[in-house]
Amino acid sequence: MTPLRRGLLVAGLGVLALGGGVIAQLWRLGILGADAEATAGEAILAHRYQGLDGKPAQLDHLRGQVLIVNFWATWCEPCREEIPMFIRLRREYAGKSVEFVGISIDQAVKVIDFAKEYRIDYPLVLAGIEAVELSRLAGNKAGVLPYTVILDRKGRLAERMLGKVTEQDLRQSINPLI
Amino acid sequence: MTLPIPTAILRGFLLVLALFLAPAVNAYAAEPDLLEPEKAFAFSARVVAPDAIEVRYLIAKGYYMYRDKFRFSAEPATVQLGEPKLPPGERKKDEFFGETEVYRGDLRIVIPVSSAGDGRFTLKAVSQGCADIGVCYVPVEQRAELRLAAAPGNAAASGSSTIGEDTLIADLFRGSTLWLMLSFFGFGLLLSFTPCVLPMVPILSGIIVGQGAKVTRMHGFMLSVAYVLGMAITYALAGVAAGLSGAMLAATLQNPWVLGTFALVFVVLALSMFGLYELQLPTALQSRLAEASGRLPGGRFAGVFVMGALSALIVGPCVAAPLAGALLYISQSGDALLGATALFAMALGMGVPLLVVGASAGTLLPKAGPWMEGVKRCFGMLLLAVAVYLVSPVIPVAVQMLAWSALLMFSGVYLRALDPLPPHAGGAARAGKGLGILLLVAGIAYLVGGLSGGRDVLQPLSGMRTGSAVAAGGPVAFQKVANERELEAAIAAAAGKVVMLDFYADWCVSCKEMERYTFTDPAVRERLAKMVKIQADVTTGSADHQALLRRFRLFGPPGIVFFDASGREIQGLRVIGFQPAGKFASVLDLALGAR
Repeated sequence: MTPLRRGLLVAGLGVLALGGGVIAQLWRLGILGADAEATAGEAILAHRYQGLDGKPAQLDHLRGQVLIVNFWATWCEPCREEIPMFIRLRREYAGKSVEFVGISIDQAVKVIDFAKEYRIDYPLVLAGIEAVELSRLAGNKAGVLPYTVILDRKGRLAERMLGKVTEQDLRQSINPLI
Repeated sequence: MTLPIPTAILRGFLLVLALFLAPAVNAYAAEPDLLEPEKAFAFSARVVAPDAIEVRYLIAKGYYMYRDKFRFSAEPATVQLGEPKLPPGERKKDEFFGETEVYRGDLRIVIPVSSAGDGRFTLKAVSQGCADIGVCYVPVEQRAELRLAAAPGNAAASGSSTIGEDTLIADLFRGSTLWLMLSFFGFGLLLSFTPCVLPMVPILSGIIVGQGAKVTRMHGFMLSVAYVLGMAITYALAGVAAGLSGAMLAATLQNPWVLGTFALVFVVLALSMFGLYELQLPTALQSRLAEASGRLPGGRFAGVFVMGALSALIVGPCVAAPLAGALLYISQSGDALLGATALFAMALGMGVPLLVVGASAGTLLPKAGPWMEGVKRCFGMLLLAVAVYLVSPVIPVAVQMLAWSALLMFSGVYLRALDPLPPHAGGAARAGKGLGILLLVAGIAYLVGGLSGGRDVLQPLSGMRTGSAVAAGGPVAFQKVANERELEAAIAAAAGKVVMLDFYADWCVSCKEMERYTFTDPAVRERLAKMVKIQADVTTGSADHQALLRRFRLFGPPGIVFFDASGREIQGLRVIGFQPAGKFASVLDLALGAR
């Protein structure tokens, strides 16, 4: 038994111990094994938003469809640029149980004006800074806009896209879920 | 002899690393690197004249801020802000709002101020910016505590220069990469004086001595270089993991189970040093390893390299406590490359003493004979000491003191403290016995102290003192909060007083150290008495706890946050990681002084 091999044996034991301990701890903290996709999707669907009319609004009634959820604001230039594409794609997917939703971190007046000018025909809801927290829960670590997530028919988070999305990416993500 | 390339172990090692990295990589692989808003738009403010302040934003490359989105205000109302002098910006076309102006790089805005009061005020700055890759940040509010000076000569007022440890580390990371590497190299050198690196010395010297008598200095040095590189790369990978995961990496390493198993490994290692048994791999495995190494040229260096990597993993939990601050920062920055660079440099620093051992090619270490036995026993004792040090945060102080007592007394006896000296004993033997008696007496002091209720490892007999000193040593009375609602209620209830919020967890080593060494200090006590003390125990990491941590952009304890009398956080004053009593007392003074 050379000193090196004895060292290796001890090191091997140590590594096994470390691995076991780390995995046990990750599991205990809920980092492993937790169903982050279901949690984030459920949080988005169950959150209490504000409608453009100032009344409370929820997305519960949209359950069962493929949902493209877009976090945006009128003051955010890249957000505004992608909205015409959303409107076009929504028409294209009409009848396939696919819906788009805009969650704005903004003032109602500005959103109403903007929606009129751009002729947004999909549901829009308002939320304050807590919407950023919602998007963080769905993986938006830096809390930036635009942020788009796609929920499958079971309400689970299927895809997330940071920044302006391309039409091609969006199609590729939606098609397998239909 | 031939050194094996232990493929099986290498494979296992990679598997463990993969397990480390897998959750992180899966979750964030597709995202571009984005800075947190406070790093993308680094804010600071200072007083530049009796009637003017300067607000500065260091805008990271690839990010910009909107000129028309700045809003500045001051509290209290006795302080009036004039029109901010916004420099002209870069023109940018915006199809909806028309032409806008944006700023990049180093932005300085001068704001005239007039004050009717004592000149102290809180500046609130709201700003909004975007990144070139096509994302925007929500408007951010940042604050600075400022004090207008009476005379221009006195203009170097505080502002966000009331720097806490977290901002210090943050500044370090904002500086050039070279500076960062140098600092971490130095940090590693310091770490090499902690007991954490000790277990590596017998492993490495064993390898080198095992090469036989014909080891040259150069060869020994090269072997230790291979070993240190293996170690450094493991740490670099830990840096990557910290950067990618954002999870409580340090915390994961600091739970009682990980620490306990490692202490056990050290005890096993120590007992073999005392010759209680020889650690043996099964012979079948041994011969297979030898066979594998014989086939590969350079297998010797590769083997030593892998040994270095494995050793780094072993002592990982030991250095996790001093590293907690850096790991936390890396995980917050989310910058994997930066984390890797920093920890690689640190490991090189830690490796310097090992390189010295290697370069001496065994001349620093006695080769054979009774001397070697003495050295082995000495290492055995040190390994046991590391084991006690590792578990010390998670065991009661009394148990810890008894463990130290046993260790000291056994060491004393091994140094022949109780054996009679022969009449013509040499100087070395006498010195050895003297040291042995010293250790024995120290051990007795710990035993007596521990049994008589002394609960201070640095002052074992303090329990025998009577009167006020003991009374002051009790735990700080914290008001516990479990979720954001309770926290808000507690802060609201504290109206008019400064609030200290302490994030705590049972597995958090620095938290325990703060509790034991800093909070017990009379000067700290006196200042704490003027504050409302709130503690969030996030040991179980429930959803409520996560929400609390997220609110303060913390990924885990340790963390201490202060709120002023009107319930707003005092910026730049956070304490992350352990702070000795003197330094912490001056932070408390700043918190109390911030109204």
